Amino acid sequence: MRHHTTRLAALLGGSALALAACDGVSTSTGGSDETAEYPSGSVEMLVGASAGGSSDLISRAVSQGLSDALGASFPVINREGANGAIAAAEVAAAEPDGSTIAIQNASLFAITPLAVSEDEVTSIDDFDVVHGVSRDDYVMVTTAGGPYADLDAVKAATGTVTYGTTGVGTGAQVSCALLLGSAGVEGEAVPFDGGAPALTAVLGGQVDTACLQVGEAVENIESGKLVPLTVFSPERIEYLPDVPTAQEQGLDVEVAQYRFLTVPKGTPDDVVDRLVEGLQATFETEEYQAFNEQNSLTPMEIPGDEVVTQLEEDKQRYAELVEEYGIDLGGDS
Amino acid sequence: MDLTAFLDGFALVTEPANLLYCLVGVLIGMLIGVLPGLGPAATIAILLPITYTIDPVSAIIMLAGIYYGAQYGGTITSVLLRLPGEASSVVTVFDGFALAKQGRAGTALGISAVGSFVGATVSIVGLTLLAPLVAEWALDFGPPEYAALALLGVLLVASIGNGGMVKAMISAAIGLLLATIGRDSFSGAERFTFDSLQLSDGIDFVIVAMGLFGVGEILYNLEERHGKPHVPAAVANVWPSRKELKESSGSIGRGSLIGFVLGVLPGGGAVMASLAAYATEKRISKHPERFGRGALQGVAAPETANNAAATSSFIPLLTIGIPANASMAMLFGALLILGISPGPQLVDENPDLFWGVINSMYIGNLILLVLSIPLVGIFVRVLRVRPAILAPITALITILGVYTINNSTFDIFVMIAFGVVGYLMKKLGFEPGPMVLAFVLGSIVESSVRRSLLIFDGDPTGFITRPISGTLLAVFVVVALWPAVRLLRGRRAARSAAAEPAAPTPTRGKADHR
Repeated sequence: MRHHTTRLAALLGGSALALAACDGVSTSTGGSDETAEYPSGSVEMLVGASAGGSSDLISRAVSQGLSDALGASFPVINREGANGAIAAAEVAAAEPDGSTIAIQNASLFAITPLAVSEDEVTSIDDFDVVHGVSRDDYVMVTTAGGPYADLDAVKAATGTVTYGTTGVGTGAQVSCALLLGSAGVEGEAVPFDGGAPALTAVLGGQVDTACLQVGEAVENIESGKLVPLTVFSPERIEYLPDVPTAQEQGLDVEVAQYRFLTVPKGTPDDVVDRLVEGLQATFETEEYQAFNEQNSLTPMEIPGDEVVTQLEEDKQRYAELVEEYGIDLGGDS
Repeated sequence: MDLTAFLDGFALVTEPANLLYCLVGVLIGMLIGVLPGLGPAATIAILLPITYTIDPVSAIIMLAGIYYGAQYGGTITSVLLRLPGEASSVVTVFDGFALAKQGRAGTALGISAVGSFVGATVSIVGLTLLAPLVAEWALDFGPPEYAALALLGVLLVASIGNGGMVKAMISAAIGLLLATIGRDSFSGAERFTFDSLQLSDGIDFVIVAMGLFGVGEILYNLEERHGKPHVPAAVANVWPSRKELKESSGSIGRGSLIGFVLGVLPGGGAVMASLAAYATEKRISKHPERFGRGALQGVAAPETANNAAATSSFIPLLTIGIPANASMAMLFGALLILGISPGPQLVDENPDLFWGVINSMYIGNLILLVLSIPLVGIFVRVLRVRPAILAPITALITILGVYTINNSTFDIFVMIAFGVVGYLMKKLGFEPGPMVLAFVLGSIVESSVRRSLLIFDGDPTGFITRPISGTLLAVFVVVALWPAVRLLRGRRAARSAAAEPAAPTPTRGKADHR
């Protein structure tokens, strides 16, 4: 069932922010003859996920920072559905004047295309990428006292290893599938509706392993209920410094979820520049940095064109690997 | 349980500021509960920025208050306007709305308030004493157990109907079919979406429920009341009498237990709880024929159960860091923002927060009960409004409520379509209840069965060999075969001319909700 979020919510939240941001407006434009400077009104920030998930929380944190820095309200509007494709379609079709922006997920462009039919694929060409935001890494976990004590035990598995994922066509599924594929182990994906049920299943020993976002698993790893087997980042991550990467353990698998700010294709450069300015100011605030840490997010504050390059690379790489190991992300196998 | 920490928690809650936040939280919760669509999850999202500036314990006390306060408010529209805002209030509509039509809306709302209070309090006591233990039990509940439980639920759905069993089953079957709409969450294939992205995540429960119940009722009334002079419904007794309270006390007790136990299960726990509580009451009642026509127990039991379930759904969040529903996910996010990670270490790392929140619920529920008394009196006056005025307002509420779910006008049209279906169903003597409940349970059954089969590597015997799912399936078989058994026994009894009544025994009722 879909979760409930509201435009009313966004409007109320937005007006609260607008009140808070009044000072900013008057000082940045006061006395200046540049009346048309962006943003002149409130900017809708679409999120393709329900309230409460990490995509939503990140958008809300950035929205707060942008309105503080640029002096307008940036109400967050949840348009959940189809892994974010519904929100993406709406942004792509919006007026390219900066009044509609969205932080989008890499998985929608690099991984979802592997699982859905051709005409449902969202293309990054419909957007201008403003700037990278942050990276959300995956960790493969198993329950303490379960059949696999470490990654070597998984690699040596003779039977089928079941793994819980956060859904079909997600980075969680790709990371586990690629890892088992490259280790030559038979795997069976068991998709759940999001991180919480997948976490429950691995804690209860319903599945042998699961690939989860670090923020979802970190508490249970620290308390010793879950054993981390590997992370999928290029180098070890700050929040789990003792967990070796897949590459360290001899498996060439690298998967990450990252998010970046997008605007409709053809948005004027000065608007994009202002947004970059606002983002950089946000990234420097202590609140935002504390937010990243609390949610186990790694900053990925790189320019938009680098994000696009990485997206294209990742998409190509995943497609090749999936092909190589004969993984069918969409099918039941 | 650490008694000092527990008592310290109480000291913290009774600080005037925290009491105030608790009051504000439950009041907001109750008000938004009245409006279908705008749920506690969205409200918590709106208020999140405010919480940055206040003390984390106060913030969570307030946000938690919104969540359980909304459970109280949700009953009001179910009873008065036939608009169930949550899946767990659907069964309340059956008898609640019937009572309202008889001029006993005040009794229905009063008994719900009392039941909700008792259910929530029993659940908090359980949470205080048994939280870690119950959390472990919830982990044993894997996909096969959910599959068996939801299957049992579908069976109960067919049996709680008021009209003919066949019509209830047809209605439930359509509900199961509707649940298949959307992108298949295992293969990514599109099912019945007609290439529309809007349908790719299926249809939201609220849209179906608002359409079938709310809009369907409005359309039906337009025809029914046309030309008739308006007679305002008598609103006699605003508060349940002592006799009525006594009559419902058994239902409230059973509802509390069922709710507490099933509420611990993430996903669908509250729906199953209200359903199981209602079915239990109907089965053990001496007058099952009264159900659906205004049986007080039919309101007391599910309302008690869904509040108890709402409360016990805090257990997975506070003890293992698993949010059981959308609102819990928002609270999870709020805790993270406040610098607190919910999980196994919470009780040791932040005992003041852990016990502060739990103890605030004792007080919050008391406040809600006290608030309910005058509010029930005000809300029942809604029924005195002329239909010509009330109907458009109800229509507006449904449209607004549905729009706020996904900010989508498409959803409004889907709801209106369901309204027409609801109208036709009512004309033809079909009940929407089984359809809506089967719709909710259908997706749980399907995904759990498929998940189980993936885990079992395609071998279905696993369903029977696992202890919990095996037991649930045994209960399923007993419940399914019971009418036949009773029929046989009845015949034999008639033949031997023995006057032995074939009523089900209370022990069987207990087996239903295990």
